[in-house]
Amino acid sequence: MIFRSALAAWVAAIGFAAPAQAAEGERVQITGEIIDTWCYFSGVMGFTDSVTGSAHHTCALWCSAGGIPVGLLGEDGEVYMVLKIEGDDQSASGDTQLKLASHEIVADGMLYKRDGLNYLVVEAVVEDRGITNLNHEDFGVVPPFAIPNPDK
Amino acid sequence: MIRSLLLTCAMAVPAMAETPLPFKLGGAFELTNQFGETRTEADPDGNPQLLFFGYVNCQEICSAVFPMLGQVVDTLEEKGIDVTPVLITVDPKRDTVDTMEEPLAVHHPDFVGLTGSAEALQVAYDAYSIETEEVFYDPEFGPVLAHGSFVYLLDAEGKFLTLVPPIVSPEQAAGIVEKYVGETS
Repeated sequence: MIFRSALAAWVAAIGFAAPAQAAEGERVQITGEIIDTWCYFSGVMGFTDSVTGSAHHTCALWCSAGGIPVGLLGEDGEVYMVLKIEGDDQSASGDTQLKLASHEIVADGMLYKRDGLNYLVVEAVVEDRGITNLNHEDFGVVPPFAIPNPDK
Repeated sequence: MIRSLLLTCAMAVPAMAETPLPFKLGGAFELTNQFGETRTEADPDGNPQLLFFGYVNCQEICSAVFPMLGQVVDTLEEKGIDVTPVLITVDPKRDTVDTMEEPLAVHHPDFVGLTGSAEALQVAYDAYSIETEEVFYDPEFGPVLAHGSFVYLLDAEGKFLTLVPPIVSPEQAAGIVEKYVGETS
C-alpha cells in the first residue's frame, strides 16, 4: 500500500528541535492540526504544505490505521508527537485519532521533551474545529493513489 | 549533503536531564527466539537493544520500521556500537520458530524474533502497554493487526532507556541511541 510505495524513497527529513532540560512534564494548551507524521517528515508524498489538511486527509487515515503515530502541528510550527489522546491509550489507529485526522484542535495536556523531540499526552480536546485547512482546492488529493480506484 | 547535515545535528545533541515519561515502560519477559532458544529481556551478547512490537507479515508500520532498524544498527556498527534489533511478535500464530528467521534476516542478520505462548507474550505486552487486535483482513496478506508503533531502546539488561518514534530518520534514531549508550557504557 502507501507504505510499500514510500519505503524506497524515504529519506532523512527531520531536524532536531532545540533540546530542553525540563525535569518533568509541563502543562500546555496547544492549537494545531492533527497530522500524519510519517508523510510530514519523510517528504515522500510531497512537501509539507501538501501533506496536511484536506489534501492529505485520506492518506492520513491510512497511515494512522496502519500504525503511524499522529502528531499535532502547532501554530508555532513545532510538531508534537502524540502519545495519547483523552481516553485512547494509543498513539495511532484509535477511534479518536482517526476521528481527529486533519482536524484543527485545541489540545490541553502535558508536554514531555526527550531527545530533542516533543511528546504530548492530550488530556482533553478543548475544541475540535474540524478540517479547516482546505488545501485540496490547491493540491487535489495527495497522493492521488490514497483513494483506491476500483476500476483498476 | 542533507543526510550529512542531519547526522551532524543529531550527533550534536548533548547529554541532558530528560523529561520522565508519565507512565512506566519495561519489565521482565521470557520468550523463544527464531532458533528455538529461550530469550529474556536481557541480551545474551550484552548489547543495547532496539525493541519493537509487530509481526513479520505486517505490510503497514512494520514495513517501515524493520528496514529502519537494520539501517540504525548498521550506522551504529560503523561507530563501533553494537546494538541488537528485537521483534516481539503480536502474531504468534504466524510468527513461529520455523517462520521468522528468513524474513527478519532480510532486514539485518542480527535481528532477533521472539514468539511464545499467549500467556508469555502477554507479560511482554503488559510491560510496554501494547494492545493488539485484528483491525481488518487483507485478501493478499491476511489479518492486519493493530499494535504499538514506537521503538524502545533498552540497555543490555533489558531496562527501558527511551522511546524512538518510528518516523524519524535512521540517522536521527542512531543519534538518540548513541547518546544513551554513551551515557550507560
